[in-house]
This record gives sequence, C-alpha cells and structure tokens, in this order.
Amino acid sequence: MSETITLLAIFEDMEPVSEGIDKLYELGLSDDEMNVISGIPVKNTILGRPSAITYVSRIGMFGALMGMALGIFLIYGIPYLYPLLVGGQAIFPVPQGIIITFEMTMLGLMGFSFIGMFVDSGFPSYTPKEYTPEISDGRIAVLFSCPGDDQKKFVDTLTKAGAISVVPTEARHL
Amino acid sequence: MASYAKPLARPHSEEEIEDPREHLMHDPLPRGKMNEMVMESMHETSWKFWVATGFLTVVVLVCIGYYWYYMIMNGLGVAGVNRPVFWGIFLVNVVFWIGISHAGTFISAILRVLKVESRRPFTRAAELMTTFGLVQAGLSVFMHMGRVWLTYWMFPIPNERMLWPDFHSPLMWDLMAITTYLLCSTMYLFLPLIPDLAMARDRTESGWLKPIYKILALGFRGTEGEWKNLTTAMNIFAFAIIPVMFSVHTIVSWDFAMASRPGWSSTVFGPYFVIGALHSGMAAVAIVLFLLRSTMKHYKYFIRPEHFDTIGMLMFMVSMAWAYFYFNDYIVPWYGGDVWDKLFQEWAEKGPMWYLWYIMLFCNIVVPWSILWNKKWRRTPWLLASAGLLINVGMWLERYIIIPAGLTINRMPFTWRIYTPGVEVWLTIGTFAFFLLLYMLASRVIPLIPVWEVQEGQEAHIIRKIGKAEISTLSDLE
Repeated sequence: MSETITLLAIFEDMEPVSEGIDKLYELGLSDDEMNVISGIPVKNTILGRPSAITYVSRIGMFGALMGMALGIFLIYGIPYLYPLLVGGQAIFPVPQGIIITFEMTMLGLMGFSFIGMFVDSGFPSYTPKEYTPEISDGRIAVLFSCPGDDQKKFVDTLTKAGAISVVPTEARHL
Repeated sequence: MASYAKPLARPHSEEEIEDPREHLMHDPLPRGKMNEMVMESMHETSWKFWVATGFLTVVVLVCIGYYWYYMIMNGLGVAGVNRPVFWGIFLVNVVFWIGISHAGTFISAILRVLKVESRRPFTRAAELMTTFGLVQAGLSVFMHMGRVWLTYWMFPIPNERMLWPDFHSPLMWDLMAITTYLLCSTMYLFLPLIPDLAMARDRTESGWLKPIYKILALGFRGTEGEWKNLTTAMNIFAFAIIPVMFSVHTIVSWDFAMASRPGWSSTVFGPYFVIGALHSGMAAVAIVLFLLRSTMKHYKYFIRPEHFDTIGMLMFMVSMAWAYFYFNDYIVPWYGGDVWDKLFQEWAEKGPMWYLWYIMLFCNIVVPWSILWNKKWRRTPWLLASAGLLINVGMWLERYIIIPAGLTINRMPFTWRIYTPGVEVWLTIGTFAFFLLLYMLASRVIPLIPVWEVQEGQEAHIIRKIGKAEISTLSDLE
C-alpha cells in the first residue's frame, strides 16, 4: 500500500472549485478527507458540501446561563452578605436585579461566544499548517489527502476541472 | 365638435442616471490588489503624519499627563466643580464619549443584521471609534473620581472596611453596563479583524509587525470550520450587542433621571439619551470617514460618496428623532407647570448661558435639516463632515446644559452658583487629542478596511440589464 500524500489544489474562482470537489467525490474521497480554504466565507451549498458543524452558539448559550447566574449572585448574594438599606428599597431589589442580570447575561453570551470561536477553531494555533498566502489574495484552495500512487490521476482530474495548480504540500509555519 | 386627445403623461424631465459601476460593490479589483492597497496605506507614511502624531503626543502629555498630575497633587479644587455643581465637564465628557462610542458598534451591528451592503468598507473604522471613545469615557470617569487610586473600591472584593458596591445605585449599574459594552465591543472589533490580520501576516515579510500579526492572526487560514465559527460568532455579536448598546446609554441617562431634580427626573430620558448618542456618534463616523478618505492612500477607492450618502441619511433620520425626543422632554415639564422645572427651562433659555441653548438647537436641528435632505450635499464628503462637526458641538453643549447647567438650578436657590470650569478644560482637550492619537497610531497597524468583507460583497453583486436599465442585483452569498 502506498503512502498517503497531501495535495493543495488552487483555483481562481468558485465555479471550478465545486466541480473539482465533485471530481474528488468521484475519485472516492469523502467529505472528511478534504477541506476548502478561502479568503472569504463560502456557503457550503455553493460547494455542494455539508455544512461545517459549529459549537459556538451552544457555548455562547452556556455562557449566557453562567452570566445570568453571576448576575443573580451579584444582585442577591452581596446584599445577603452585606445588607444595605437605601431609600426604603427592598434589600433584594427586583428591578435593579433585572438590570444587572441582563448585563451579565449578555456579557456571558458574547464572552463565551468569543471563547467558543477560539476553542472550536483550535485558536490560537502556531503549529505548522498546510497553507499558501495566495489564499488571502483571493484564491481558493482544496486541501485533500490521497494515495501517493494516485497522485497523477488526482492532479490531472483537478487540472481538467479548472485548478491552476495541484501540488503536494507540507505543513509550514504561517 | 372636434375632440382633442389630452396628453397622457406630464412633461418629463431629464433624470440623472446613476451608473451602478460607481458603487464599490460593482467596481471590483482583484483581492490581491485590494490587499496591496490597504497594506500600502498603512506603511507609506508622510512626514506630515509624524508631525501631527508628535503634536498630538505633546498635547496628550501636557493636557492629560501634566494637568491630571497637577489635579491629583492639588485636589479636585483646581477643577471648577463645587457646590452645587459637583458634576462638571468630566461627566459631560463621559456622556459625550460614550455617545460617540455607541454609533460605532451600533452602525456596524445594525447594518450587518439588516445586510446593508454599503456598510462593508467602513464598519471597522466605526468599530474602532467605539473602543477609543470608551477609553476616553473611562479616563474621564477616573479624572472625575479625584482619588483615582481608590478605583478598586467599586469592585466586589472583600476588604477590611466592609465596604461593598451597592447595586441599588445607578452608578454601579453604569459601571457594569459600560464594562460589558467595552469588553463586548472590543471582542466585536477583533472578530472580523482576524482574516485581515492573517492577510497582513501573509504580506509582511519581516520587521516588528510580523510577530504581532502572527500572534494576533491566531493561526487563521480560512478553512470551512474556521469561517463557520467566525461568522456564527459575528452573527451572535451583531444581534446581541444592539440591546446592550441601548441598555448602556439608557443606564447612563438613569444616572440623572433617577434623581428627583428639575430638568433631570424624566421618564423619556432613556430613549432621549440613546438617540442623542446615535446623533453624535453617527456624526463622528462621518468625520472619521472624511479624515480617512482625505489622508489615507487609496482610501478614495474604498470610501466613496455612496458611503457618505448612507451615513448622511442615517444622520438625517436620527436628527429628526432627536428633535422629537427633545421636544417631548421639553413640552411635558413646560405644560406641567412645576415651578422648579419652569425655572430650569427659563434659566437655560434666558439665563446667563442662553446662547449655549440656541447654539445647541442650531447645531442639532438646523444644520442637519438644512443640509442632509439634499442627496448631492450628502454625497459631498467635506460638507457632511462639517455638518458632523457642528452636530458634535451641539451634542456636547446639550450634555453641558443637562449636567453642570442643570445642577446650577435646584430647589435651594441660596446654593445657586454658575459653574466655571478650571483644569478640566485642559483635560478635555487632552481626551480629544488622545482619541485622535490612538486612531492615527491604529491606522498604521490595523487594516482599517475589512478587505475580505469588501471582496465578499463584490462577489455577491452583479449588474443585470432589465429593459434599458442596468440594475444592481445582490445574490445571497452570506
């Protein structure tokens, strides 16, 4: 059995990318064996690929609940420990509680969404990666692995589909 | 009897035809070229830039560094605050800068939620205004505190004096709300910046900026998963930050409205303050866009009359809303006839500082209404920026009339005293200079144009020919 190699196919436009992905499916690659790298977000329906799963919104919701709990603790926990009488108001005031709880909930939601984006994307990550700066200049790359023996078949097929280059790639420091 | 056919249509005039190619979205350049333009604008700096930077640095050092030190050493007495006006220009500046900061994130978020395409090139410039505006607001709070080294008393941490923050107090709500807004708007600024930092990383060969870009780009490549996570987070922020923005300025208004004081105790103060914040903030966006377009290389390609038109329309709409709320806030106490409210209103209109009231109304209503109705004028950058400048003068005066002038009139006439600012004038100049300085320095390091968002928009736009007209068409690529 031959060694698996990683190839990076570079395309100029979106149209040939979806065609190239179809060809990769025909050659037997599955969704998990390829990744599209682009300088702008590309809808999965354009590429004919399933949508990437994200946990950001779930992490954000968890953060919102945590924030709400913190808000409730601040507004009710602190007066419980250190009661202060102000202007005949209740020690545990509900209207003020709504304000603080709202702010803390939103902070939790956004803070955890931010952290969730980091966690789910594996950021920060400074290890070597397969990449070419041409991508941030507008080109679209399809990164995939294939058996070394079939390299020529893959290169020819993708070149015919419109790739401007299909080359073996190695991880490098960004 | 002869009959004559009436003309079927009224006489026609020549309508000015707008070429859709004048719009940034229909005038695409290759992404590599746009990247190059943005990087060049950051790196090619004329001597004038450094002269201006040097001047602003000196102003900041003198006005903030020296005068703050002077105030700390000599006490708050060197400022003009005294009985009954304990809240002076520092608090005017807090409200003003929070207002400025509001429009930045709000414009970016609301236009993103509503998918307004003309937002694309200027969202970052607006978001940056939020962060730097909040820095000035924070500084002004610390200046106002006097004994700034005791700031930690505001935080809920155990201490031997058993002093705990009191959540019954609007000032405490303010601290929580502003902190939330500062943190969230900074994160919101950073998220869409990541792909552009990756672009800057790829295009920077060496130098001290290379490791900074490398660290801040976090290893972003643009894989499907990374984009999905990024856009999901951005969408959450765009929706969530709007109610936070509304809450922050409403809570700022409650610092005043919760007090039983003539001129302050008003149920309409919340929305009135929010709309006031948008009024000054949008005007500030117009000024910032004008300055960027005039001073940054290649920015005439990215920031075009159409963008000033968008901002101008928003400014016009907001100025009308501000006038409505102001009138609402004016007529209810006026009609109610409470003697103290009447006294306050008469004092503002006819008292020793009457001219401030008229300048405020002129700048906030007459200026925008006489300029912004005209499309051609809205699309004239210097004119829109001038209107923006005057609106900001008007909005600053509005806060001045509410705070120190408002405190002058109270229910104990024997305490009435006109506020005369002292050292705070210099500190105010310092905050303005510091805002500009931060912005200028950021323009050398941060790509102020979100290039990937511009390219995304350009990919989504096509021109269709329908009948004899060429129509701009937008595909839903987002």
